[in-house]
Amino acid sequence: MNANSRIQSLFTNGILEIILVLLCVVLSLAASGFLTTENLLNVLRNVSMQGVIAFGMTMVIISGEIDLSVGSAVAFSACLTAFLTGKLSTEWASLPIALAIATAIVFSLIFGFFLGVFTGFMRTRYQVPSFITTLALMTGLSGAAELITNGFPLTPFPSWYNFIGGGYLVGIPFPAILFILTFVVLQFLMNYTTFGRSVYAVGGNSEAARLSGINVSRIKMMVLGITAFLAALSGVMVSSEIMSGTATTAKGWELDVIAAVIIGGTSLMGGVGRVWGTMVGVVFLGVLMNGMTLLNVSEYWQHVVRGVIILVAVLLNLLQKEKGER
Amino acid sequence: MSIPAHSLQTHSLRKEYPGTVALDDVSVSFTGGKIHALIGKNGAGKSTLVKIIAGATQPTRGSLFVDGLEVSLPSPRHALERGIVAVHQELSLVPELTVAENILLGRLPKKRGFGNSVIDWRRVFARAEQILTDLGIHLDVREKANTLGIAQQQVVEIAKAMSYEPSILILDEPTSALAQRETERLFDLLKKLKMRGVVLLYITHRLQELHEIADTVTALRNGALVGTIGIDQATPAAIVQMMFGEVIQRSRPADLVTPAEPFIEVRSFSRSGVFWDVNFTVNKGEVLGIAGLLGSGRTELLRAMFGANPPDSGELIIAGQHIRPTSPEQMKELGVAMTPENRKDQGLVQLLSTTINLCMSSLHRIAFHGFLTRAREEHLVERNIRELDITVARTDAPVAFLSGGNQQKVVIGKWLNTNPRLVLLDEPTRGIDVQAKQQMFQIIWDMSNRGISCIVVSSELEELLDICHRILIMRAGRIVSDVRPSELSLENLFAACMKEEV
Repeated sequence: MNANSRIQSLFTNGILEIILVLLCVVLSLAASGFLTTENLLNVLRNVSMQGVIAFGMTMVIISGEIDLSVGSAVAFSACLTAFLTGKLSTEWASLPIALAIATAIVFSLIFGFFLGVFTGFMRTRYQVPSFITTLALMTGLSGAAELITNGFPLTPFPSWYNFIGGGYLVGIPFPAILFILTFVVLQFLMNYTTFGRSVYAVGGNSEAARLSGINVSRIKMMVLGITAFLAALSGVMVSSEIMSGTATTAKGWELDVIAAVIIGGTSLMGGVGRVWGTMVGVVFLGVLMNGMTLLNVSEYWQHVVRGVIILVAVLLNLLQKEKGER
Repeated sequence: MSIPAHSLQTHSLRKEYPGTVALDDVSVSFTGGKIHALIGKNGAGKSTLVKIIAGATQPTRGSLFVDGLEVSLPSPRHALERGIVAVHQELSLVPELTVAENILLGRLPKKRGFGNSVIDWRRVFARAEQILTDLGIHLDVREKANTLGIAQQQVVEIAKAMSYEPSILILDEPTSALAQRETERLFDLLKKLKMRGVVLLYITHRLQELHEIADTVTALRNGALVGTIGIDQATPAAIVQMMFGEVIQRSRPADLVTPAEPFIEVRSFSRSGVFWDVNFTVNKGEVLGIAGLLGSGRTELLRAMFGANPPDSGELIIAGQHIRPTSPEQMKELGVAMTPENRKDQGLVQLLSTTINLCMSSLHRIAFHGFLTRAREEHLVERNIRELDITVARTDAPVAFLSGGNQQKVVIGKWLNTNPRLVLLDEPTRGIDVQAKQQMFQIIWDMSNRGISCIVVSSELEELLDICHRILIMRAGRIVSDVRPSELSLENLFAACMKEEV
């Protein structure tokens, strides 16, 4: 490969990365507060809670499914953690607070995982589209969160609990560490394991995958389970950040998350996408929002800009693909 | 009859596709008031000829004459305007619409005024009713298409075709889904159309129908016209001769082993409505052919053995182990592989690369404790490409870019990587060129020599005679005989599949 074609391939395969770098250059010139360690770490922290879910959502979409319930799952998991912590440390068991919190978190995560597996089960056993099951879960979980909190924020947490969502480890926001850790694990899972390979095969052509001896049901249940687990993890992070279980948090997150995945080049048709692309998509949106806030762009405009970006990114991806096929 | 007969002529039609010539210098003439059967093997050029006549594709060279006038048909719409209508094998009714709407789809009568945009339902039903009555068919035009049986749907398709008042009507295997009585009704209908001077082109694989319905028989072979004979000359031997030509027996390798040790036994396999009480044994290293017509249950039998569509009852015995196939995953573990009939949609994930497709069935063998390493994959893929002689520019490009023959090799390579003991091959040579076919035979023989058993289902009967140790003949869901290629001729095999005495 000569230098010329290498540059060309960088442009066709790394267009989003290039735009991200350009955006950063422009912002560091235009907004004085942008290029500081503190601000950049802040960007990472801001994207981390949605970002954690976005990596899971990438797998779900590659496998040819969708999960609309992640926003409600975050709220539900935050409330469930708060609710269980409160109950376990008082009337149910009088556990020490640290143990109550640990138990509550573990239970919320496991419960989240099985909700995802349930969606996968409905999909593979009864052919209920994941769109429908997760739409039902979206409403149901949101209601369940209101029910267990009685509509008021639950605040059973001691102040040290704030570490998970608001603390720092060696100068780096702890949620950002969880975000990067999730990226590393899923990047590895999708690219270097039999499981990841099977996800691509199932999403690319589930009948061909089945006839290749791949257990399609198990793959779909696992993928949806992992994503729901990550949504529950995000819920724990949120409950720590705001120090309460509040039923109205994370409204509409599912669309933000899906947007980041799509911007990252994952195809809604399944079979195509990269975890790295989602990383770029998530950071891209984070930087854009941060930059616009620093430049005092109104929040309404930020929404409009985000809408335009989603459309342009998908268009770019499709045009690129068309070029590749020719 | 006072109605003037129509006519259709082709002059030196040639159609080239990249890499192949689908139709070569075909000049043929069809007169109205007769039913002309068009026969030939898969890939003989029948469908290309029909597509050209119906305006669906353009000839590379040559011309078409309708009623003695040269016509050019850049699109199916132009053909329709010329009165050329084709009824395809796949039904194309809109299930949720009524019979009347389906018949008049796209041409529903409108009420005058309102910018000509309001449907005149009374006229819709009246017009559809009229068309059906003219054809002597009794059907409720208000019924939805999805409530009709296959035969009735076929009739609606023909009524739809008739609503264009065609001078040339092409029917592509109209009886393939029909029962005997329904077929007779269809034939009555066709005979009526014949009286109107329509040119009827009738494509069929059911050769026993020819004498019931056709007036002439025209055969194509390898894209060229073999000739046209009157129905009185169309003996089964003459038909086989026209379709297959002089059959050249391919030389079989001398070192082909004769297998003796049984590997798998199929016991009373049944699947409701598809096949019944199927029993046979395959020896180690044996190449077993299954001959039968489309719909004889051969594909379904393979899929049942592979667990893709499990049988209702029956079992497999592999090395003394009694097994009920339930999923491809389970059968893969037992050393069974299958290359499906529909390679493009079921054999491969077209979006993914050649490498990923080749490794797809054997991920657990390639991986080290679940972790894939590039080096192991590349090693395997290189070996596949060398051994199967796959022509591929870049192994990391989507497999969709490969030719049919190379795609088939990728499907086989994918299964060889699982170290199979039995490979089920469904139409392994469909749609691939002569050289690739020859290589496919060699691959099958190589597998046989390595002790891998193969079951080959193919519509190409002469291929089965060439490559198999033994052939089972399947008819209407049952195995009716078990023969050795040396014991019978192509005519006999063909007749056995057709249930016809030669």
